[in-house]
Amino acid sequence: MAGLKDSDDYKNGERFKGAGNFGWIALGVGAVATAAFFLIAFADGKTGDGYSMTSCMAFSWLFAVVFFLSIAVGGMFWTLLHHATNSGWGTLVRRLMENLGIMIPVLLFLALPLILPQIGFRDALWEWFEDRAVAESTAEKKADEKKAEYIADIKTKAEKAAGQLAKIEKDKSSQSNITPGVARFYDDQIKSLTEKSEVLAAHANQPEEVLVDELRDKEFKNANALLHAKRDFLQEEFWLLRFGIYILVLGGGMYLLRSTSVRQDKSGDPKLFTKMQVMSCLLLLPFAVAWTFLVFDWLMALDYSWFSTMWGVYLFAGAALNSMGVLILVLSGLRKAGYFADTITKEHYLIMGKLMHAFVIFWAYIAFSQFFLIWYANITEETKFFLTRNTGFWNLYTIIFLVVGHFFIPFIALLIRYNKTTTKIICFIAIWNLLMHFFDIYWIIIAERAPSLTQGAVTHIKGMWMYDLLAFVGVGGIFIFCLLKTLGTASLFPCRDPRLDESLNLTN
Amino acid sequence: MSDSTTSSKELFGYVAEFESAADLYHAAEKVRDAGFKKWDVHTPYPVHGIDHAMGLGKSWLSAVVLAGGVAGSFTALFLQFFTQVSLYPTVVQNKPTNLFTIPAFFPVTFELTILFAAFSTLFGLLVFIQLPRWNHPLFESELFKKFSDDGFILVIESRDPRFKRDKTKSFLEEIGAGEIEAVVV
Repeated sequence: MAGLKDSDDYKNGERFKGAGNFGWIALGVGAVATAAFFLIAFADGKTGDGYSMTSCMAFSWLFAVVFFLSIAVGGMFWTLLHHATNSGWGTLVRRLMENLGIMIPVLLFLALPLILPQIGFRDALWEWFEDRAVAESTAEKKADEKKAEYIADIKTKAEKAAGQLAKIEKDKSSQSNITPGVARFYDDQIKSLTEKSEVLAAHANQPEEVLVDELRDKEFKNANALLHAKRDFLQEEFWLLRFGIYILVLGGGMYLLRSTSVRQDKSGDPKLFTKMQVMSCLLLLPFAVAWTFLVFDWLMALDYSWFSTMWGVYLFAGAALNSMGVLILVLSGLRKAGYFADTITKEHYLIMGKLMHAFVIFWAYIAFSQFFLIWYANITEETKFFLTRNTGFWNLYTIIFLVVGHFFIPFIALLIRYNKTTTKIICFIAIWNLLMHFFDIYWIIIAERAPSLTQGAVTHIKGMWMYDLLAFVGVGGIFIFCLLKTLGTASLFPCRDPRLDESLNLTN
Repeated sequence: MSDSTTSSKELFGYVAEFESAADLYHAAEKVRDAGFKKWDVHTPYPVHGIDHAMGLGKSWLSAVVLAGGVAGSFTALFLQFFTQVSLYPTVVQNKPTNLFTIPAFFPVTFELTILFAAFSTLFGLLVFIQLPRWNHPLFESELFKKFSDDGFILVIESRDPRFKRDKTKSFLEEIGAGEIEAVVV
């Protein structure tokens, strides 16, 4: 058909010439906010209610990092999905997805203050570090006290069993005229007692250290049964190892994908296209597992006694939804600056709007299912999360921002095709969704702050929202600066991708 | 006029075959621009953008689906609130029986919304495309049958106000039609 665009006309790509001073302003604001944040956090001050400033601000930093990390991870998801589903519609915007995804290493770096125990954030956020140390030292002390008694008890039990066995054997041999039935009765008893005494003797004959360890484990369980049940997972070395795996899978995987894609810009080698597809298919599962466990480690473990199996997918839904929003915003910004002038059409916006709509519904589906199952089952261990968030201030907050703001309003707005294809309206909806994502992550992390730091004494620590915003501006400024820098490092779209034709001539 | 019509029969319209999807696409644009309304194209496979080339507006089906979905939501909510909150308050695990019972009602509401929307899609579509029907005049045409094999077919019906027996035929020839058949029923 006439009027088809030819990808040969676009094979040299389009270069981003920088956003003028905007990036540097963002960096300046971000750096100042971050510096101010850490100065205040380390000043060792107290909040108005007398709680440790460092501990309170740990939650602010986690909030800011997770918000932007979720968007970067969403960028990686869209890249993986685009390759794995053999898509052609979004080849033009795929580089933007890749650029968003490559922010993962930046944000994992910004997460280091949370990981390093010296900063003082880690133990404030995740009580299990301290609770575990307490439980273990209690267990140690108790084990030391009871050691002699415990070992003696085990030995006595073993000796007693051996004594019983000897007695029965003697009894049997003392019977002169034994009937087969009685003989069998004795044999059965001898057999079971032999087994029992063997087990007890084996137990008692172990080296003393093994027995003490056993006692220590029992005392650990007595001191904190919930933590004892999760002792293999909530363990410092394994926790650090997992952080390393996240860097490897999320950061490393994204780096590989993006660098392959950039290499293709020069050579145009179609083999690289296939290679990226294979890579994406192989990465999808590790990606899902890494993100799920990252949010288990960082968010679910804020209260180690609580658990939800839908947690990973809940955070994923928000991440995918809002990184699509950021993609729309970045694309529209670039178009306003004159890029993508004759390549991106309403059709691309329509698809992106549809995907955003789908994920608005998906998020609501997952969020409601998580709530519904816990609400309906009414099991003490599970309801804790929603009890905190369904009472007082947080109840109104949940209804306004999460039920109405995060679902009903964008759901209805995105039903209308005109809204999806009109740049201004879809950008407004994307910003709205980002704002709701802000409230969602805030609700997850900050609602936990006061109950966690005050052992449930208060539900709110006054005046802390300012520092939450400060952290958000700090991380956000750095994020925007890095994103703008990355945009300029390669063509704005994969200019020699074999699927470019399809994307250029997209029709819905 | 090569076609032999008798006075007792009526001309239903012209069936025209085109070489390729691209030819048909451009022909459709021209027919659209000529102002015809009662016409259609038939292809062996979906042609991207043909609705635009034909100048088709937005279908009203989505409005019907929306109405169906909303009706489904309200039906479900009404049924559940009426029976389990107002008529016979059902207390489960000390949960409230008032407006805040609503989480328990969501699964059914969701399902009925989907069900009603799906039904209104199907039945709305059947109404719009006037199905089911016993027969269609186009089935008389031998040429028309090619659309399910390798033919790209354009049909202009005689009930179109712009339809003129000779003029329309020459118009079709002009825009690149190969074989043209007059369907008489």
